[in-house]
Amino acid sequence: MTLLEVQHLTKQFGGLNANRDISFTVNKGELVGLIGPNGAGKTTLFNCISGLHPVTAGTILFDGRDITSLKAHEVARMGLARTFQVYVASGDLTVIENVMVGCFMRTRSRARARARAQEILEELNLREVGDSLVSELPVAAQKRVTMATSLGSDPKLLLLDEVAAGLNPSEIEDIMKNIRHIHNDLGITVMLIEHVMELVMKVSDRVMVLDYGRKIADGDPESIARDKNVIKAYLGERFVREHGEALA
Amino acid sequence: METLRNALDFSDFPRFDLLIAGLVAVFMLVFPLFPHSAFAMATMIQFLMFSLYGMGWNTIGGYGGQVDLGKAQYVGIGAYTTAVLLIRWDIPFWFSMPLGMCFAVLWSFIIGYPLFRLKGHYFAIATIATSLVLMDLFQVWDFVGAARGLEISPIKYHPPDWWRLIFKEDIYYYYVILGFFLLGVFYMNWFRKSRLGYQLRSIKDNEDVARSLGINVHWAKIKTYAIATAFVSMVGSFHACYIKNIEPEDTMSLDISILIALMAMLGGAGSLWGPILGAAVLIPLKSYLKEWLGATAGLAGIDLLLYAIIIMAISAIEPRGIWGIVEKIRRRKRR
Repeated sequence: MTLLEVQHLTKQFGGLNANRDISFTVNKGELVGLIGPNGAGKTTLFNCISGLHPVTAGTILFDGRDITSLKAHEVARMGLARTFQVYVASGDLTVIENVMVGCFMRTRSRARARARAQEILEELNLREVGDSLVSELPVAAQKRVTMATSLGSDPKLLLLDEVAAGLNPSEIEDIMKNIRHIHNDLGITVMLIEHVMELVMKVSDRVMVLDYGRKIADGDPESIARDKNVIKAYLGERFVREHGEALA
Repeated sequence: METLRNALDFSDFPRFDLLIAGLVAVFMLVFPLFPHSAFAMATMIQFLMFSLYGMGWNTIGGYGGQVDLGKAQYVGIGAYTTAVLLIRWDIPFWFSMPLGMCFAVLWSFIIGYPLFRLKGHYFAIATIATSLVLMDLFQVWDFVGAARGLEISPIKYHPPDWWRLIFKEDIYYYYVILGFFLLGVFYMNWFRKSRLGYQLRSIKDNEDVARSLGINVHWAKIKTYAIATAFVSMVGSFHACYIKNIEPEDTMSLDISILIALMAMLGGAGSLWGPILGAAVLIPLKSYLKEWLGATAGLAGIDLLLYAIIIMAISAIEPRGIWGIVEKIRRRKRR
């Protein structure tokens, strides 16, 4: 069953085409990776889907409803959550308070929000740091806090924007476990932007590739790793010409 | 039920703080029973009034991070509503105060809707502008006495008149405003734990993150602005009965707006005790400065100089004011 359907999405910033005619679907229960070189338009795509940017052209359907012209908070309330790549915590909120803000989307009661936040912190191994300020935590824990906060709203679809960027291998291992837990145990459909290939290739059911705002490939991780267009996008035309035989 | 519990529950503060708060509360309750000067009494009433203004400011300015420098316009709306209704139609305080709050909230919606499309400094400047425009309007509006203002003459009434809030002795006014003050503290204690309170802090942190957590940022700001407004207008109504002589200049001028914001920031924006601490420091200081130096010609602007120094100190040392320093020290100790 289709959960998210994007049809011919185009996003222009002045003369710049950040997303050009992108179409794809995400099925319920899938875990889809989204990769591409820097500036390929991945985060812009997330911003369009989550309603932060108005789209220039195209349609976005979520859970059977046209959400193209909905505002970000309306999209969020439908069950589409996301994390942010650059999260600047002002140092005002503690970890649990952050997660509670997410939980407050579904309840007015502080007691219930707190209890739910407690559960989520437990699930993401953040319980001990609940009362710390987010800005006091190491990057890896901060990334898990952003995931926990978006989980607070009990989403159907979670968009993760580079949650493994800047982490060391063992931290990546941990965050991979968290992502698998969210996907397998909590049954949430996930779409993730990632530069860390071993993570994307290991956890994704399907991988999509963007380059210069266009979708250039879409398939299972193995076929994407061998796709000529993808290698060209990452390593350049010359590399493919010189190593063509080896790749085929 | 949970609302009431949240309002009355201060248990997330350290015992030491609660002890101090309790002692201060007891002091405030019994203070008028001991011999005191009229000056001390007037200063205490000013302190309570400005604490309440600051609490109102703190909702949108502190928790929400939207620096509002136009709160005086709502002091004016409250004060003028109460004064006009009493003088023209003999409508008592307890009716005119809620009515004034309604007018103020209505006005806050009208200007809040477009104003909250602006951010940061632009918002702050726009609030100053609307407040000044309203003051100018009142200065030429004959119905409200124009620049001459309005005077409530107590001779017409029979003090103590609880209904119209007309008293001869300040002690009555003191206990009325103390009642408002205590209610204000409980309300703010509820507010900071409410859903809106948390949402505002998230908005202050990062608006895009807040939006993606289902928060209607624009509406949350307008709602909070209305709450702040209601607070300020309520005290404005009290101001009219207490001072009895109101003019556009001394209810709606920029000085008052700045003083309200400054107090909350000095004490600690976005904290429960901040506005009270700020008022406790600034109001006596201002009163004594006026007493000492006010008579000396040429030194009239000394309090403005003081504000400037405080603004610089806050931005250079700790943006979260006195309470921010306290919390910083506590965090360091715990680790």
